[in-house]
Amino acid sequence: MATRNEGRRASLWLFGPALGWLALCGLGLAATVLDESAWSAVERSRSTAVGSERCAACHPGEHESWHRSYHRTMTQRARGEAVLAPFAGEQLETLGFRATMSGGREHPHLTVERLEPEPGTDPVLLDVDVELTVGSHRYQQYVALVDRGGGPRERWRLPVAWHVELGRWIHVNEAFLTPGGAWGEAEDYLRHLSRWNDNCIFCHNTQPVPGLDASGRFDSEVAELGIACEACHGAASAHVDRQAWPLRRLLAGIAADEGDGSIAQPGRMSAARHADVCGRCHGNRIAADLAEVLREGDGFVPGHPLSEVSRPIQRGSTIAGQPGEPFTERFWPDGTPRLSAYEYQALQMSPCHLDGEGLGCGDCHTMHGPEPVMQLRPGHASAVVCGRCHEPASLSDAGMSGGHGRHGEAVACEGCHSPRITYGLLEGMMSHRITRPRPQDLRGRDDQPDACTQCHVDRSRSWAAAALAAWARGETPPGPDGQAPRVALDLLGGDPIQRVLAAHALTRPEAPVDPRTRMAWLVDVLDDDYPAVRWFGFRGLRRLAHAQGMPELEAELAAPGVMDDPGLRSQLVLELRERLGPGALAHDPERREALRQRQTHVAIWIGE
Amino acid sequence: MSPQRHLRLSLAVVALFLAMGLWLEAMLGLRSQGLLADELRRELLRLGHAHGALLGVLNLGLAWALERLCTPPAWAGRIRIAALVGALLVGLGFVGGGLWHGPTDPGPLVLAVPAGALMLVSSLVAVVLLRPAEPPSQ
Repeated sequence: MATRNEGRRASLWLFGPALGWLALCGLGLAATVLDESAWSAVERSRSTAVGSERCAACHPGEHESWHRSYHRTMTQRARGEAVLAPFAGEQLETLGFRATMSGGREHPHLTVERLEPEPGTDPVLLDVDVELTVGSHRYQQYVALVDRGGGPRERWRLPVAWHVELGRWIHVNEAFLTPGGAWGEAEDYLRHLSRWNDNCIFCHNTQPVPGLDASGRFDSEVAELGIACEACHGAASAHVDRQAWPLRRLLAGIAADEGDGSIAQPGRMSAARHADVCGRCHGNRIAADLAEVLREGDGFVPGHPLSEVSRPIQRGSTIAGQPGEPFTERFWPDGTPRLSAYEYQALQMSPCHLDGEGLGCGDCHTMHGPEPVMQLRPGHASAVVCGRCHEPASLSDAGMSGGHGRHGEAVACEGCHSPRITYGLLEGMMSHRITRPRPQDLRGRDDQPDACTQCHVDRSRSWAAAALAAWARGETPPGPDGQAPRVALDLLGGDPIQRVLAAHALTRPEAPVDPRTRMAWLVDVLDDDYPAVRWFGFRGLRRLAHAQGMPELEAELAAPGVMDDPGLRSQLVLELRERLGPGALAHDPERREALRQRQTHVAIWIGE
Repeated sequence: MSPQRHLRLSLAVVALFLAMGLWLEAMLGLRSQGLLADELRRELLRLGHAHGALLGVLNLGLAWALERLCTPPAWAGRIRIAALVGALLVGLGFVGGGLWHGPTDPGPLVLAVPAGALMLVSSLVAVVLLRPAEPPSQ
């Protein structure tokens, strides 16, 4: 009897606590499974933002990959490492004004003074502490509190920016496609002094609320500076509340693959809804109710159609109260966007998108990959993505030498089907409208580039059309046809975007034309009326000089003031002309002059 | 459970979880994405391998201690079962929680880990506190 009691005592001591724990877990799991409120659909539109640090607790890997991204650093407090420019007393003289950047990275400060003030007037145009940084990849812009009638919380983007690649200051006028402006005119100098509260705030922050009141004053709030988790996944308070119970989380893997509905998962959305999440910022839009947006924010809930709150700007879009179609200059004649931040529209126009059922942003990009630049999926190759639908063997001329497109390995799918015909952020970018190259359709037209001649920069469009036709017949492509190269025509007589893209095409390393010839042509844009076009010329020459092993020329092109001072620039153009040879179409001076004249008729004024 | 069976099964537990280590190394060597691309799974399988093997060794020590300390037979047999089952629950709880898990947390099988840990702790405390059935021979 004593032994039996001892045995019971032993069993109770040894197994009791564990069995008690397992019984509790069983009850808890059963209660969780049966609790309808733990699994029912969640109304996310009532969620509020919780901040990225809360997300890190459960999603450390995703938080870490986001932390490395340029999305995170899109807007930051201007302190310490966030500030990329030295602010060590550098000066930049533009249009008769001198900007002085001082205070170091801990207390960045900007002063702008007139070089030649009127007697008795205050020479100081701006004298502000920098509060925020915007951008960190290509160039970094700066924002300060300046009350210009919008109240003490009104913020303005300042007129100078730090170019990361070049490691130098630029005036923001250089990044816009507008003419240079008049010397000493404050209005021209401050042309792009943009108000943060009703512009930058939207796409460069998380859950922005401009807070414009009836008196025209701003009380702007953002849930988090920069583009954080909740910009794409939506406000997460409902998700955090639901996942607070540990047993709910333990059962999450067994419950459903589609997630619990408490948070938006762009990776699990259709191509259309996923594109809506990205298109909120990568697709300029017209708000359904602008006054409401300026008061409360855009009201977009990731996972819902973007069309509920806005419509994308297209070439033919109109605005109530404004005459005509104010956005035509932002698009090529066939409706393809020619500026960045219109990738959404471009994707929607692509046949591969299949009206939202086919190719989407997530097929090429991932926000949680290892590579922050372009955020392409690890091991991304366009041939693999395209090959999911377009069986390589089924493509035209697949069996011929060089395969489909006949360029072999030298040119990937995007080289011909997504040509670099988009301008943005001082870059020539690939179009996100996937098209078939058809130069024959553009013969006799000067208003749109084609994929073939953007790479074959020394060839005409009629040559490109003939070459494509010859390939289709299985023949060898013809040699040069003696017609003017398309890129030369754009460089000398195109509108500012065409000139920028022509200069960019001449700079690309894959262009199959002698680099010295391309450099000589680039000299043609160094005295362009548009600072952005000149900038492309200077940068292109510097890159080609570097590639050609011409360090002296590279240094000469990077010398202080040479880009901004008209006198120094003219001198440099003369020197370069002698050194590099004649420019584009130099054998036909009358045509050159006619093209230069044409430039003045195609002047445009558009933003970044 | 007899002392001999306890020793044999303890060695079997050590062998089982050491073999699992070989399997994990092979998966790493073969760059298995099911393991490499899933950090939570990798961590839990490692925990299962390490805990299982170490707790198997602990059972070997326990088997020796039970004999050496002349733990009363009514307790000794149950301690052997509790310690062995505890080691298996901890090791396999981690493995199961890692193989079938949700987006952020282990799967529900990981709840077996605390149960196993409680059995092991109870076993060790019992061995420490219990008086010998007969005084150990000098």
